[in-house]
Amino acid sequence: MSSTLVEAPFYLPTGDEVELFRAAYEQRIPVLLKGPTGCGKTRFVEHMAWHLSSEPLVTVTCHDDMTSSDMVGRYLLSTDGTTWLDGPLTAAVRSGAICYLDEVVEARKDTTVILHALTDHRRVLPIERLGATVPAHPDFLLVVSYNPGYQATVKDLKPSTRQRFLAIEFGYPDIERETEIIAHEAEVDASVASSLAFLGDRLRNLDEADIIEGPSTRLLIYVGALIRKNVPPLRACDVALVQAVSDDRDVQEAVRQVARAVFAE
Amino acid sequence: MRPPDFEAAQLALTLYFRALSGRTCEIEPYADDADHWQHPDTVTTVRLPAHAPAPPGLSAADWYQVSMTHRALHHALGTFALDLGRPEPLFARLRPPDSPSDVPALERFVRLFGRTALAIEVFAVLEDLRVDAAAQRLFPGLAGRYAQVRAAALDERPDLATVPPRSAVAEALVQLSLGASSVTAPDALRQPLALVVSVARRLADPAATVESSAEAAIRVYDVLAGLPNVGGHRAVRPIRFADLDADVNDPRFGLARSELRLEGDEKFDVRLVPVRYRDVPGPRYAGQQTSGMPLQEAILRMTPDLDAQEADADEDGFAAKSLAAERGDVDVTATERPEGPPEPLPHDHGPDLDDHHDGVHGHLHAHGRDEFVYPEWDGVAGRYLPDWCLLRVRRPRPVRSERTHRRTLAQHGHLLPGMIAALERVRPAGRDLMLRMPYGDDLDLDACVDAMIDLRTGIQPSDRVHASMQERRRDVAVAFAIDFSSSTAERLPPDPRHPREVQRILDLQRDAVSLLVEALERIGDTYGIYGFSGGGRDDVRLSVVKDLDERRSPAMMHRLEGLTPDHTTRMAPAIRHLAARLQRSEAATKILLVVSDGRPYDFDYGQQYGEAAIMDYALADTARALDEARRHDVRPYLITVDPAGGDYLSRMCDPREYHVISDARDLPESLAQLYVVARAESRARVPSPA
Repeated sequence: MSSTLVEAPFYLPTGDEVELFRAAYEQRIPVLLKGPTGCGKTRFVEHMAWHLSSEPLVTVTCHDDMTSSDMVGRYLLSTDGTTWLDGPLTAAVRSGAICYLDEVVEARKDTTVILHALTDHRRVLPIERLGATVPAHPDFLLVVSYNPGYQATVKDLKPSTRQRFLAIEFGYPDIERETEIIAHEAEVDASVASSLAFLGDRLRNLDEADIIEGPSTRLLIYVGALIRKNVPPLRACDVALVQAVSDDRDVQEAVRQVARAVFAE
Repeated sequence: MRPPDFEAAQLALTLYFRALSGRTCEIEPYADDADHWQHPDTVTTVRLPAHAPAPPGLSAADWYQVSMTHRALHHALGTFALDLGRPEPLFARLRPPDSPSDVPALERFVRLFGRTALAIEVFAVLEDLRVDAAAQRLFPGLAGRYAQVRAAALDERPDLATVPPRSAVAEALVQLSLGASSVTAPDALRQPLALVVSVARRLADPAATVESSAEAAIRVYDVLAGLPNVGGHRAVRPIRFADLDADVNDPRFGLARSELRLEGDEKFDVRLVPVRYRDVPGPRYAGQQTSGMPLQEAILRMTPDLDAQEADADEDGFAAKSLAAERGDVDVTATERPEGPPEPLPHDHGPDLDDHHDGVHGHLHAHGRDEFVYPEWDGVAGRYLPDWCLLRVRRPRPVRSERTHRRTLAQHGHLLPGMIAALERVRPAGRDLMLRMPYGDDLDLDACVDAMIDLRTGIQPSDRVHASMQERRRDVAVAFAIDFSSSTAERLPPDPRHPREVQRILDLQRDAVSLLVEALERIGDTYGIYGFSGGGRDDVRLSVVKDLDERRSPAMMHRLEGLTPDHTTRMAPAIRHLAARLQRSEAATKILLVVSDGRPYDFDYGQQYGEAAIMDYALADTARALDEARRHDVRPYLITVDPAGGDYLSRMCDPREYHVISDARDLPESLAQLYVVARAESRARVPSPA
């Protein structure tokens, strides 16, 4: 998936991640982004790619049925015989785009191994089916992300894969930054945004206890977006937050109570 | 029995508290007629009245929410994290320089004062004021309800005119903290009131910290300590707080001046009537991280002659018990558990549920989503009795503590790595090359040639031209059915290794499940945990601790704690229900693992054919239910802790399908191992794809 964006995607740095990424890109060191869902990993890559790369970002969302051909490419059958179709990774390797593999641990182990030759000094993509090796364009960079939280412990990156990346860890932004992000993304005023950020900050105490995951900044933005469309705040919290974070009735009730404390009826 | 107000709100309130404060707590109710003074909160326990004294227009849940918000903010705003060295922005510093010490800061702080109890009272009220102001500022959604609760609390405050000057000014401070705008007091108190009010109201400033409260406490204490604690007043008149003003950094304020013994000091102490929605100042306010003894005992604890005093004060052993509990000497959960229900009476069928019957001996009907009817195999007559058993699915009441789970892990945690390794080993690896697939990584050459031939000869070619490497499906879904009949509550004979430890089978079952959950979570099998018991064919109970597609949650561990034993072991309907439940799962391997402590038995289970036939009847029905499960590709595996279990299990299933644990105490260690065996067994019998 790739697209051309006219404007730089909005991203508010929470630390030195922009500088780190820039340095990694200049040295062409592959980057691993770690962090909980909805904390801004994807947006960060979009933002960086817009600034650094002349090619549109190539994003591949990994899943457990994904095979190496889904990434590298495959032969197709046509009336004249077979034709080869590049997969997104091969296309990025050839064109020099930044290729972003989202939730990389979801992909099958054999899929991640094809990245090895691409992420060390060789910088090549061997394509077995073509019997060829595609050298990476000088501008090509591989970026992968994963969320160490929710995947079962069995799903983890092999050390041999993991030790090829510079790792940047992401957390949720602090209240002030999150307020700014929500205000910008949901286009709500600062008081609504700060209430949402405060609500999110409190609820993350439940995340630390593994009772819920998040809530993510993205979810808080959704609530803000609903409030902007004149959905009453508590109703917006109920549909976009309470129902999203848990199915457990007691947990839902607790989350609702926190929302009711933050927002007036 | 917990009161209904409380029951409904409890778990959500605990989580609410956790969200606001980032801390766990247990909520304990105290009786409505109990002295609030006797129930201070502790580090881990919040004590709330069993019935919320909510003012008109406010629900009990609202009142509890306000009360919990107040407590949570004490933590979030650092009441118990006083740092005597830290600067604060509101007052000129009167605190002495801080020096490093092992004594907690709060204790060091209150020791600065001659009258420790008074100092704690003052500091606590000032912190309450700061916390309430912050609560209304931070939680605008709650502010209205919060104000209502405070107003109701203010209405209940005593009259200042009836108390001596020191108590009157202290009471005025409480009333200020509850939002009062004026008090009725003698003119003579105007000056001390001006000082106290001017100091205290600064704490409503968003910049105020706990150190600000400490500075304020020094000043307020100074004022109060200089007032007599006997005598009344003649003329009183309203004094508006807004009219009062004084210099909060008045050089007259000071700390540790030689305190005069004033008249009345020996006899009377300032003892403020507690505010119901707030916690009473317990030992935590004196820096003690221990139990919930009342304030006076906490202060005595700071004096050297501890034992004699404590024995004196602790009439009902409350303090000693709670201290022991916090040290971990007492299994608090054990006192919560019933000792086991009364033995079932011969015809105790539970509640009368005639509306489920067609007739006395006829079909049963299910009402609602949580009821299911299942047939029963009458082995004597050789036929099914349709709609014969009514099974109710229910959720056990969560019991709040995860302590048992943690204790189990502490006790048996060393077994986990081995278990996980064993489980990992049985995960089958390998893939199958699937040809002529509609999608795949490669083209299937034969299929391509065929397709090209078809194309050239004008026939619509097949699109199944791919070869695909597919992993063998290795996902496993397992339902654990745990016998929770009343016999599991019987105490086991003492273990020679730990003669003082009393164990019951249900405790061991809980332990075993706790351990297993950890192993299963790590390897990623889908699992469900269910308890079964019964009270006649119209009352078979299946308690869902965790359903198959449910995620693990703390509530689930609470439900495991909440499983209570009742009545009998009618195993077959539970097997039928769970087999049907497993059948809906998409996993390639489906396992039903039944853990029991005895043979299947119920009050109306074959009795119609005479005593001699009971066992045969029950075994035949259970064996039939197991057969049905196998036909649905559900692999049953039975584990019993009944040493005689082999006698009847061998009549119901293949030797590879059951295991007898001769000593129930081995259950926690064995269950996961047996699961490995069951898993390997069932995999061996699943036909692999051609």
